[in-house]
Amino acid sequence: MVSRDRQQRGAVSVLAVMVAMVALVLGLAACGGGGGGANDGETTTAEAGPVKGELTISNWPGYIDPGKSGTVAEFEDKTGVKVQYIEDVNDNNSFFGKLQPQLEGGESGGRSIFVVTDWMAQQMHELGYLQEINADDLPTVFENMVSNLRDPSFDPGRKYSIPWQSGMTGIWIDKSKAPEIKSVNDLFDPKYKGKVTFLEEMRDSVPLVMKAEGVDPTEATDADWEKAIEKVKGAADSGQIRSFTGNNYTEDLTAGNIVAAIGWSGDASIIENPNAEWIMPTEGCVLWSDNMVIPVGAPNTAAALGWMEFVYEPKVAADLTEYITYISPVEGVKDLVAPELAKDPLVFPSPKFQENCSTQVSPPDVDKVSEAWANTLTG
Amino acid sequence: MSAPARAWAWLRRNALPIYAGLAVAYMLIPIAVIAIFSFGATPKGKLTFALDNGFTTEYWRTMFSIPELNDALFTSIRLAFFSTLISTAIGTAMAIALVRHRFHGKRLANLLIVIPMATPEVVIGASLLSMFIYYSFTLGFSTLLIAHVMFSISFVVVVVRSRLIGFDRNLEEAAADLGASPLTTFRTVTLPLLAPGVVAAALLAFALSIDDFVISNFNSGTTVTFPLYVYGVSLRGIPVQVNALATLLFLVAVIAVALVLIQQRRAERMAAVQPEPEGTAPIPLPGTAAAQ
Amino acid sequence: MTSWRQRLVPYWLLGPGLLWLIFFFVVPMYFMGELALYSGSLTTGGFELTWAWSNFPDALSGHGEQIWRSFFYAGTATILALLIGYPLAYAIAFRAGRFKTLMLFAVVAPFFTTYLIRTIAWKTILSDDSPVVSVLQTLSLTPGDGRVLATSGAVIAGLTYNFLPFMILPLYANLERLDLRLVEAAKDLYSSSRVAFLKVTLPLTMPGIVAGVLLTFIPAFGDYINAQLLGGTGQAMIGNVIQSLYLNQRDYPEAAALSFLMMALILAIVLVYIRFAGTEAFMGDEDEERA
Repeated sequence: MVSRDRQQRGAVSVLAVMVAMVALVLGLAACGGGGGGANDGETTTAEAGPVKGELTISNWPGYIDPGKSGTVAEFEDKTGVKVQYIEDVNDNNSFFGKLQPQLEGGESGGRSIFVVTDWMAQQMHELGYLQEINADDLPTVFENMVSNLRDPSFDPGRKYSIPWQSGMTGIWIDKSKAPEIKSVNDLFDPKYKGKVTFLEEMRDSVPLVMKAEGVDPTEATDADWEKAIEKVKGAADSGQIRSFTGNNYTEDLTAGNIVAAIGWSGDASIIENPNAEWIMPTEGCVLWSDNMVIPVGAPNTAAALGWMEFVYEPKVAADLTEYITYISPVEGVKDLVAPELAKDPLVFPSPKFQENCSTQVSPPDVDKVSEAWANTLTG
Repeated sequence: MSAPARAWAWLRRNALPIYAGLAVAYMLIPIAVIAIFSFGATPKGKLTFALDNGFTTEYWRTMFSIPELNDALFTSIRLAFFSTLISTAIGTAMAIALVRHRFHGKRLANLLIVIPMATPEVVIGASLLSMFIYYSFTLGFSTLLIAHVMFSISFVVVVVRSRLIGFDRNLEEAAADLGASPLTTFRTVTLPLLAPGVVAAALLAFALSIDDFVISNFNSGTTVTFPLYVYGVSLRGIPVQVNALATLLFLVAVIAVALVLIQQRRAERMAAVQPEPEGTAPIPLPGTAAAQ
Repeated sequence: MTSWRQRLVPYWLLGPGLLWLIFFFVVPMYFMGELALYSGSLTTGGFELTWAWSNFPDALSGHGEQIWRSFFYAGTATILALLIGYPLAYAIAFRAGRFKTLMLFAVVAPFFTTYLIRTIAWKTILSDDSPVVSVLQTLSLTPGDGRVLATSGAVIAGLTYNFLPFMILPLYANLERLDLRLVEAAKDLYSSSRVAFLKVTLPLTMPGIVAGVLLTFIPAFGDYINAQLLGGTGQAMIGNVIQSLYLNQRDYPEAAALSFLMMALILAIVLVYIRFAGTEAFMGDEDEERA
């Protein structure tokens, strides 16, 4: 018995030493690599060229007309490019979170195009994760882009982002239960306690609250943001706000759990409640776009540019709009869609309809305000 | 005995099966709901969990009509299958070593088993991703498999170990005394007795893998698994076919096991009919199913 | 006499698993650990190693409520799962006869439908206007506001439901081994089923209970998704905080620091529990008995 123990212990020490060595080696390797720097070096411009080969696109779900007569199939037929269309952008932050390590190293995970919202595009650009786009390579795009999207504050002249679709954030109400709600301030009315939801996206909910208080989000200071967040936090703590949602507010609306929600204009197709209606708040809405961007390390940028050109052709854009019912960035689509759709102010809003709307912005000190907002969400 | 007294006595005798039946019903309630709504017609083919539009079998007939859904499902099943295989094998071996053998560093090994279970998924997912990138692994099925095996091992070890503890070594000693080599003993005595624990662990590993979202999201590259697909489409409306497929999966699993049962029954009945040659009937081991 | 080769057996058995865990868990955790000592942010030029030990207390501050909540939710869910799961495991092991494996499958099969679909199904069943909730309201089982969703109850119910297999499977694995003759003998001795259960069955099945409790409590503590989909504005758990820190605030160092603290806390709770439940039930140090 004793000798066996001693020999066992001997064998154990060998194992222990082996493990320690492995750990040491790996530790050294890790120390050597470190966190890597931010992607310094000049920004590259996406190269144009003959449109062929393979193309991988990451987009939001339900943002394209599917199937054999869909946009992807049409593009493949026309150009011979083989497209892998992945709908894995569920949320700007999660998508960023999972791509960040690769982008940091100059890789795009095989993707040639992402579609992300304005502020995320801006953030990626500032971190050096995007390639620039030469307007000369995209004649159709720049000819057909609607005028109010040509020169946004976050990307003047559209050097790295090309709009895919636009939308508005406003208020969905259940007409049969709360017809008198007209403004975001009404959502704080104790009458509706526990029956309203806000969006968890800070750049959707907080600007609306600020606007209702008379503050212009595009000129708001950090203090303005924090004051609005305080107001929301108070409502959350008291139970006035039922929950902060992604787009699952549509489930609550359908089920009748809530009477009002801050939500997006294009979600009509997934809310099965005949009494649900999207209203433009009296103080105006938040306007946002989702944009196509070309990341660093993107393979086959020529095909990516070809795709952008393709979807800016009015007929193609019209097919898209008919299916997804968001606001098209392409001029002339209104004349090509079905008449009832052309009259829908949510899909073809007139300038008058949108006059009080603000574009979606980030706060000046993003980290500080994000932290205040996060504390509200996870209170 | 009066009628109420008899009823009460019946209730007490069968309290356990009734309770268990209620528990199983509770577990299956959402499945029933899912199944029911897979027959509900909806205007755009998107799941609404409302029966306002009547019933239809359309979604069952077109169940395989969405290629992305089929691919995602197939990927998930393949992934779960291999993940289960590898993690169950590795985990069972570890459990045996941890319970049966003495060695230094046992406490450390035990700790190493428990810690992954305590780590939040976003942390495991993100840190694995960083490591994969750092060492230039290509993200895809293989990185998913690595991740799934990794988080399953701990669970397998704990389940198998709970069966091993207090295991009666006398049976194995008896086999050894009768002249069986360690390998034969393992094969004919230990493994069959371990089997229910290993099966339970494998089931858990399979469930963990097929249902995983967060870690898969980080480490999948452009591969799409079933949960990733469902999360994606939930933003714009889940096609009702998903419900139909989910229900089908459930039914297939249950039917497959039922078929195995029927097969076993038939084999046993046939063995009972044919007379056994002397001395080759297996001795029922105490405490196992055969002895009941 | 045991040969040298035989003495290496535990290492062959442990080897693959240990190596897998070292390469694919310990090493990434090392990266994370390093990250916890960084400071900076993505927007201000990146992160760098500054031995910022202050990240740890900073991470904890302001999140005490979520930690307590996680403990409460996970603990309650574990107890409920044990109460529901033990009799079920017992029934499957001893009353199901041929249908054992089938029943086990039925326990695990709901997982094939993916978490999101199961949860949407539950949200439908528990929506404010549903008949189920109306019944609960008349029975006065709902909290003040009269709804079930977006309350602590909903989160706990979700946790319990989704972790039931984690409780049942280890329980079953251990229970199935129980020699019923011992129970019979105990019943004869104590002449009461309840006492026989307490003095014989329970201690014998303790390893299964310990395993089940651990497999349920530990992952439930770090869960975030039940709180996100079923909870409202006051139900965030520590998992939600870490999720938010990592993805929304992109404060990787604080997320890493908080994760490590959370892991340490869970381990402490686990160690206390194991001591309380008996280390033998967890480690099963068999050779110590025999030697």
